[in-house]
This record gives sequence, C-alpha cells and structure tokens, in this order.
Amino acid sequence: MFGYIWQYVYTFYLRYWLKWLIRQVTGTCELQRICSGYKAGALRTAKAEYSLQSSKNKVLRGALEAKKSNLEQCVDQIMKEKNVKLQKDPLFKGNLQICLLQITGYRSLYVSVEDLRKEPFSSENPEHETMLLKLWDLLMPSVKLESRVTKQWGDIGFQGDDPKTDFRGMGLLGLINLVFFSENYTKEARQALSHANHPKLGYSYAIVGINLTEMAYSLLKSGALKPHFYNTVQGPPELRHFHQLYCFLAYEFDKFWVAEEPESIMHFNQYREKFHDSVKAHLQEPDVDLTLAVSSH
Amino acid sequence: MGLLSILRKLKSTPDQEVRILLLGLDNGGKTTLLKQLASEDISHITPTQGFNIKSVQSQGFKLNVWDIGGQRKIRPYWRNYFENTDVLIYVIDSADRKRFEETGQELAELLDEEKLSGVPVLIFANKQDLLTAAPASEIAEGLNLHTIRDRMWQIQSCSALTGEGIQEGMNWVCKSVNSKKK
Repeated sequence: MFGYIWQYVYTFYLRYWLKWLIRQVTGTCELQRICSGYKAGALRTAKAEYSLQSSKNKVLRGALEAKKSNLEQCVDQIMKEKNVKLQKDPLFKGNLQICLLQITGYRSLYVSVEDLRKEPFSSENPEHETMLLKLWDLLMPSVKLESRVTKQWGDIGFQGDDPKTDFRGMGLLGLINLVFFSENYTKEARQALSHANHPKLGYSYAIVGINLTEMAYSLLKSGALKPHFYNTVQGPPELRHFHQLYCFLAYEFDKFWVAEEPESIMHFNQYREKFHDSVKAHLQEPDVDLTLAVSSH
Repeated sequence: MGLLSILRKLKSTPDQEVRILLLGLDNGGKTTLLKQLASEDISHITPTQGFNIKSVQSQGFKLNVWDIGGQRKIRPYWRNYFENTDVLIYVIDSADRKRFEETGQELAELLDEEKLSGVPVLIFANKQDLLTAAPASEIAEGLNLHTIRDRMWQIQSCSALTGEGIQEGMNWVCKSVNSKKK
C-alpha cells in the first residue's frame, strides 16, 4: 500500500520536479541524458519510450503516434520544445530519431502482423494454395503430393486430410511463418521435421508450428518483444524480422523438445509453457537477441 | 464482489467437483467451447496438441473440463482420460457432412468403452452459425442416438463461436450430475 502511494506521488509530482532540478543543474533535458547516457538498443529506446509516454507535453507524447514520414519533423519539434541546440548536442537528433523509428515501427509491425493473422486461409485464393503446396515441396522434396486433399498432409504434421482447417486463429500468418522457415532455413526445417516424425518422441510438426506462431504473436502483442527488436533492428522492424523471430522459436523449440524427451505428445502444453517461460526470461535481459544462430541460405 | 455473494460464499459448502471430458474430431470446436465456458478470448485458437484443462464454477459445481485434441493420431490417448468421468461432452462440427460417418464411429466406440459405461453424454451439434450446418435432429437421426438405452443422453444445437445454446447444454450437464448422485 505504501509502495503504491509512493509510486503515485513519484510519477505525478516528484518525477516532474526532480527532472526540472536536474535540468537546471546539467542544462540538458531527460531525453538528451537518455540518448547520451545509454548505449543504443533496448536500454536507450525503452527509457526514451517511457520518458515520452509520461511527458506532460503534447508534442512529446504525440511523437509516439507519429507516422514514419513525419518523424523528422517530430524530432525537430521536440528539440524546439525542449530547447536543444544542434550545435551543443550534435548526436541527439539522429539518436532520438532512431529511437522513434523503433518505437513507432514496433506498433506498425503489430498492425501488419495482425492483418495477416486476420486473413483466413482460403482454398479459393490461388496465392494461398500455391503457398501451401510450396510448403510441401520444401519439406518433402522427394515425395509427390498425390492430391490436394490427402492423408499425406499428416506426414508434415497437419491434423487431417486438408490443412485448411488447421490455420484457424492464426490465419495466413501461420502458413507464411511455416513457409518462411522452410525456405530460409531449409536444412534446419527438414531436420526439425525428422525429429517431429520420430515414432516415440515426435510431435505434429505443422500444428506445433502454428502454435509457435501464436506464441510469437502474443509476445509481440504484449510488447514483450520490444527489447529484442530494439536491440537487433536499427530502425523500424519489418515483417521479415517477425518471421525471423518465428524461425528462432521453431528451431529452439525443436531442440528443447528433443532434449527434454517428453513422455508423449499429450504433455505438449506443459513443455510449451516451460519453453515459453524461458523465452520470456530471456526477454527480460537488456541485451536480449533472439536471432537464430545458424546462417540462413 | 457484492456483499450478497460474499455471504453466499461463507455459507455454502465447498463446490462439488465434476469431471467433464470434452471429445470429438479435430476442428469440431472443443477448445472454442472450453474457452467460451471460461469466458476467455476465442480469437487466437490453434489446434490442440495434447490437451487443455480448465475449471469453471457453475450452479454450485466446480466443473473440471478436459479438452483433448481430436486429430486421428492422438485419439488412441483418449482412453487415458476416461477414468472417473462424470459427464462426456461430444462435439460435432454440424457443417462437416463429409465426416459425419467418422464422427459417428468414434462416438459409437466411446459408448462401448467399459470405463465410460453409464456416463451421461451430451452431444453438441456445434457450428450452427454456419449456413451449411445440419440441424440437430438430422444429426441425431444419422447417429442413431435414439438407440442409446444404457445412459442419459441429450443433443443440443449450439454455436461455440456466438455462445448460443451452450448454457442450455451445461444446464443439462448439471441436471444429469444431480440426478446421478441421488
């Protein structure tokens, strides 16, 4: 209770006066101190994001909602508001701009991902169909698909004779992730599939993949992926960066599953949670970088 | 929480636990149904690998609902969850006519299981929100439900997506548990 009151008093009154005092003494505003005091990446961008969010100034808060094309203008406005002279702090402008590109980029990445997720897989859409058949060819190069609706889909871990019902809540995003992994990390994807088809330690490759898309999606939505993207992308993160993160999860989950040797597939959710927890723990580290360590080809 | 419900909580005995098994073919809507029962978001559902379990309070019962994945590969594991089941809920995709025969066969096999003998069964004719859904009466006839004599049974049309019909089904579940315990 006391902690709560203290936090309230701090964020609403003390923080403001403290900032004012430091400003008078050092002659720099909080954003300047953040940009020069912390190394580029999650630490700096997260601090800048918090500072902008809790600002009483409309221009500063508004910068978080700005479009990419307006960002430079926003930075200029902020410098004017805060009376930052380019000559005195020449690096500030570029640094703040990168922070803002990362912060606003994360939001637009979520919008793009959400659009793909909401688009249901449709057998009537030739593009979707082509993508699905491509997935088969990438994973099973030596086996021909006998027909579009066939039990063979089970060999790459779909549930029934027609994969279309398995995409469900993840829509096209689930399929794109599966294809991206198989296309850019073909060797690793086929190796994971061979582990998945192990008679005793196996799992359903495709639907576990769709489940991992859900994991990546939820982590993105909750904001948990911010440190990863702030550390690894020096600008706005794009869809391919999200797909790369999926590849990391797919590869690492397979490794984790093989190492854990679960009793049977019925324990999937328990191991999924354990894996999820370890990913979330990594994301708490300031230097987190969830990039798949094998080179793509 | 209101004062009345606090008083009620203090007064009443702990809820009686009921074990409910949720089975059916893949893509029938079991997980969506489970999440609806627990008033959770149903927009991000993915195929169930293994099982999900949730506890829901309803009419003085604590319903422990086990949602087991329906894909053919894991159906052999269903039997591991039969023990001590109070009510079986069998979910059917009413619009997936191509698999009516398959779903009927699985249900018939379940009703023959010794560990499930006498266990009341509720059949949810799900996905009634789809235009192509078969009505519950047609499904009941197709599955020969009227030949079931060794237990209480009920078929209820519903839409796990919109929530329609679920409460009616769950009322029947609670009623059947009550009459079994007497």
